[in-house]
Amino acid sequence: MSSRLGYLGGPGMPGRPDPGRRRVLAMAGVVTVALLVIVCQLWYLQVLEGGRFQEASDKNRIRIRPIAAPRGILFDRNGLPLVDNRPAFTLSLIPRELERDPAQRAATLGRLASLLQIPFAELQDAVARVSPDSILPVRVRRGLTMDDVVRVEEWKLELPGVIVEVEPQRAYPNSRFAAHLLGFVREANDEQLKQGRYRRGDMVGQSGLERLLDEFLRGKDGGERIEVDAMGRQMRMIQSTEPHPGAQVVTTVDRRIQEAAEKAMEGHAGAVVVMDPRNGDVLAMVSTPAFEIDRFTGTIDREAWLRLVQHPEHPMLNRTIQSQYAPGSVFKIVVAAAGLQEGSLTPTDRTDCAGDFRLGDWTFKDWKEGGHGSVDLLEAIRHSCNVFFYEKGLKIGGSVIARYATAFGFGSPTQIDLPGERRGLIPQPRLRRDRRVGGGWHAGETVNMSIGQGKVLVTPMQVARFMSAVANGGVLWKPRLVQRIERRDKGVVWSDGGSVTGHVELSPMVWAFLRHSLWSVVNDNGTGAGARIPGLDIAGKTGTAQMIAKSRASKGQDHAWFAAFAPVREPEAVIVVLVERGGKGGQVAAPIARKILNAIFMEKVASVELGG
Amino acid sequence: MVGIDRRLLQNVDWPLLGATVGLVILSASTLASLHVGRAGGSVAVRQLAWFGIGLVALVIVASIDYRRLVRLAPLIYLAGLGALVTVFLVGRTVSGARRWVFVGPVSVQPSELFKICFVLMMAWLLASRWAQPVNRTTLVLAAPVAAVPMILILKQPDLGTALLLGPVLIALLVAAGMPLRTLGGLVLAGLAAAPLAWLVLKDYQRERILVFLDPVRDPLGSAYNVIQAKIAIGSGQLLGKGVAGATQSRLAFLPERHTDFIFAVFAETWGFVGCLVLLACYALVLLRGFDIAASTREPVGRLVALGVTALVATQVLVNVGMVTGLLPVVGIPLPFMSYGGSSMVVSMTALGLLLSVRMRQFQ
Repeated sequence: MSSRLGYLGGPGMPGRPDPGRRRVLAMAGVVTVALLVIVCQLWYLQVLEGGRFQEASDKNRIRIRPIAAPRGILFDRNGLPLVDNRPAFTLSLIPRELERDPAQRAATLGRLASLLQIPFAELQDAVARVSPDSILPVRVRRGLTMDDVVRVEEWKLELPGVIVEVEPQRAYPNSRFAAHLLGFVREANDEQLKQGRYRRGDMVGQSGLERLLDEFLRGKDGGERIEVDAMGRQMRMIQSTEPHPGAQVVTTVDRRIQEAAEKAMEGHAGAVVVMDPRNGDVLAMVSTPAFEIDRFTGTIDREAWLRLVQHPEHPMLNRTIQSQYAPGSVFKIVVAAAGLQEGSLTPTDRTDCAGDFRLGDWTFKDWKEGGHGSVDLLEAIRHSCNVFFYEKGLKIGGSVIARYATAFGFGSPTQIDLPGERRGLIPQPRLRRDRRVGGGWHAGETVNMSIGQGKVLVTPMQVARFMSAVANGGVLWKPRLVQRIERRDKGVVWSDGGSVTGHVELSPMVWAFLRHSLWSVVNDNGTGAGARIPGLDIAGKTGTAQMIAKSRASKGQDHAWFAAFAPVREPEAVIVVLVERGGKGGQVAAPIARKILNAIFMEKVASVELGG
Repeated sequence: MVGIDRRLLQNVDWPLLGATVGLVILSASTLASLHVGRAGGSVAVRQLAWFGIGLVALVIVASIDYRRLVRLAPLIYLAGLGALVTVFLVGRTVSGARRWVFVGPVSVQPSELFKICFVLMMAWLLASRWAQPVNRTTLVLAAPVAAVPMILILKQPDLGTALLLGPVLIALLVAAGMPLRTLGGLVLAGLAAAPLAWLVLKDYQRERILVFLDPVRDPLGSAYNVIQAKIAIGSGQLLGKGVAGATQSRLAFLPERHTDFIFAVFAETWGFVGCLVLLACYALVLLRGFDIAASTREPVGRLVALGVTALVATQVLVNVGMVTGLLPVVGIPLPFMSYGGSSMVVSMTALGLLLSVRMRQFQ
C-alpha cells in the first residue's frame, strides 16, 4: 500500500523526508495562531475594555412581564356570554429590584402597606417565598381600584421594585349570577401548588364549571422580556411570546331562563332546575342564597371567607345536587306508576278519605283537615290526597315502590359533571329485613314512603331527571351542562352528544294516565293551580316535605316542591322548584315555577294572549 | 477483536485524557451555577452522565483497530446519510429546525453523529487506490461525497454543522498531499460562489452575517446575543465575578447560555485568567492531536487523526470566535463544554479514534 502513497509517507522509513508531516505541523501552527488571536480578543474585552463592559452589565436591568392568557369564555346555548373578561390592575413586587438592604426594603414595604392598607406581614411573606434574585413579578394583590393605582404611581420613586400590572379578570353579568354553576376563580392555593400543575399567582377555577373545565379554560400565558432603565421605564423589548387564550365553552344553559329563575327565587332559599326532557340539557341551575362570585376574584380576606363558609344558610352549597330533601307528594307519581304497572292499583280504585289513616296504634294524618271524601286515583293525585296513597301504598308494598323509585333514578347520582353530588336515599325494605339492620321494616315506613316522607331523600336534580323521564316516556338522561369546547386554532376539541343512563318501561296506558293526571293537577283546580298559564299545557305535581320536627313552632317550616313539564303533548322543558322552609308546594313553589315557565314560553304565551 | 494488548495500553495518551477530564469538570461546574430552566442543577448531572456514556464510547472505539473501522467506512457513511434522511421523515422540530430524532427517551442529533462518519469516509476515500495520485481527479471524487451530506444538513437547517465539514475536508486534502495551487484555486472558486450562497441562506442567517459586519445594525434583534455575550465576557475582567456575581449569566440576559454561549458564562465567572486555563486545556488537546497525526506515518492513521483533530479545532475556534465577537453567530456547540448528549458522545468518540491511532502508531 505504502508504495502507492508516496506523499502520505509510509511506515518504517523514518529517515525519508515526510512532506505530509510538515503540512500537519503547519496546520497546528495555524490553529495555534488562531488561539492566540482569541487570547488577544479576550485581553481586549476583559482587561482593556473590562471596566466599560462592567458598567454596561450593572446597568442591564431586565424584567419579565408575564402576559396572562385571557380565560376562555363560557357561553349559553344561544351564544350569549355567561362570563366575560375585563382588564384589572394587579399589584406586584419584583424581588430583584427591591432594595437590597433589609431595613430599606422593610421601609418600602411599610410605605406600600400603609398606602394601600395591606397587612405588612402579607407583603413580607410574599417576598420571603421567592428568591431575592428573581425577576419574575410576585403578585401581591389583585383587583386594585383606580385610586390605588393612582396612589402607587404617585409614590413610584419611593417604591422601587413595586409595579402595577394589567391582567384580564373574570367579569360577571351580576355578582351572584349562576354562581354555583359557573363557580369562582381564585389564585391557586397551597394544595394546588403542591400538585405542581400551577405556578404561584395562577388563577384557577375552584368550583363549578370553572373548576371542571379549568384545563381548557386557562389557556397558556405569554410573556415579554424587556429591558428597563433605573426608573423602571421600558427601554426595549427583547423577546415576546403571545399568550394563547383559553378555549371557549358552549354550555347548555339558557341565560334568559337562568336569569328569570334567579329573579323568581329572589328572597327564597332553595333550588331550581330547568331541563330539556328530550336530551337532558340543563337549561338553568339555580341555588339560593348564592354567594357573590366576584368577591373571590380579587383578594378575599380570611374573615369574609369564614363568614361565607359559616353562614347559617350555606350559600356555598349547590342545593340542586348537594342537598337532599324528602320529596313529599312529588313521590306519589312513583307510587302511582308502580301500582298501575304492577296491577295492584287501577284508575277506578276509590278510597274514602276522612282525614286520617290508622295502622295499629299509629295514626297518619292527611294534610287536609276533615279529608277529601271519596276519591279515585286521578282525584287523589290532583288534590294530593295522602290517605288514598297511605292505603294503596301498603297494598302495593314497600319493596315494589322502592324498586320503581330506583328505576326512576332515585338513590343513585345523576352523574352530572359537577363535583360533590349527593346520591339521595331510597330505603330498601327487603334488604333491611334480611340483614336485620335497625330491627326490621315496619308497615308504617311503607305508609310514610308512599307520600315521599320517612327516609326517602332526593336532590332537585334527581327530581328533574325523574320528571323528564315522565315527560319523555321513560328515558333517564345524564344531565348535560357542556355542549362543546372550541379552541380558536383547533376548532372543536371536546363535545358531548348527551347520554342515556337508564330506561323505565311502563305500558303506554300508564304513561298516558300519569301525564293526564299531572295536567289536571295544574289545569283542573288541583294543588298546582298556582302554576297555570292560559295557552300553555302544563303538567306538574306539588309536594310539601315535612320537617322532622312536628312541633307547632315548625309549622310553615316545610319544604315546598313543584315539579312540572310543558307543553304536555311534546314536552320541551321540565322545571323543578324547591323552596326551603317555604310552606306548601302549591302556594309557594308553583307560582315561582309559573314565573319561570312564563319566561321560557314567553313567545308562545304572548301569541295566545294576543290572539285571545 | 476488542482485546487490548498491554503494549497498546502503554501508549495511551494520558495528557490528552487529563485535559479532557479538566474541560468536563469546568463544564459541569459552569452548568451547575446556571440553574437552567426546570431541570435546574440536574443539567450538570446529566452532562456528567453523558460524559460517562462518552467514556464508554471512547474505550470501545480506542480498543478497535481504526483500520478495521476505515475499511467499513463506506457502510458507516451510508448509515449516517440514512440517519440524516430520517430527520426529515420523523424528525422533531425545535425552534424552526428539524435536527432531532427520538430514540426511546433521548433525542439524538444525527448531524452531530455524522461528523465522525464524514472523517472516516474521507480518510477511506483519500487513502484509496482511485484517489492516487492526489490531484484534481481526487477532488472530483471527493466533491459528491462531501456535497450530499452538506446539502442534507443545510436543509435542516443546521448551517453551523454544514460549514464545519468544509475546514475538515480542506485539512484532510492538505494532509493527503493535494497540490497547494489546486487547493488555492478551490478556495478562490468557493469565494467566488459566496454571492450564490447568499441566496441559499435563510433570512435569520443573512441577518446574523449582517449583524456581524455591523453590530449596531439592529441592537434589539439578532445583535442582542452578540452584545450581551460581549458584555458578559468583558465584565468578567481579569479575575472574573465568581459564581455569585455573574449577573449577566445568572439573570438570563444571555440566550443559549448552557449550550452555544456557555463560554461567555465561563468568561464572566472566571475572567481572563480562567479563560487562559480553559484555552490551555483546548490547546493541549488540539496540539496532542496534531502531534499524533504528524508522528503517524501510516497514511490512514494520519488522516483519521488529523480529521478528528480538525473537527474539534474548528468547533472550538468557531464557537469561541463567535462568542467573543470575532466571527458571525453560527450555531456550533463548544466541544466538552456545551450541554448536549450528542455533542459530548461525538467529541469523546473523536478522542477514541485519536487514541486508537496513537496506540497503534508503533506497531
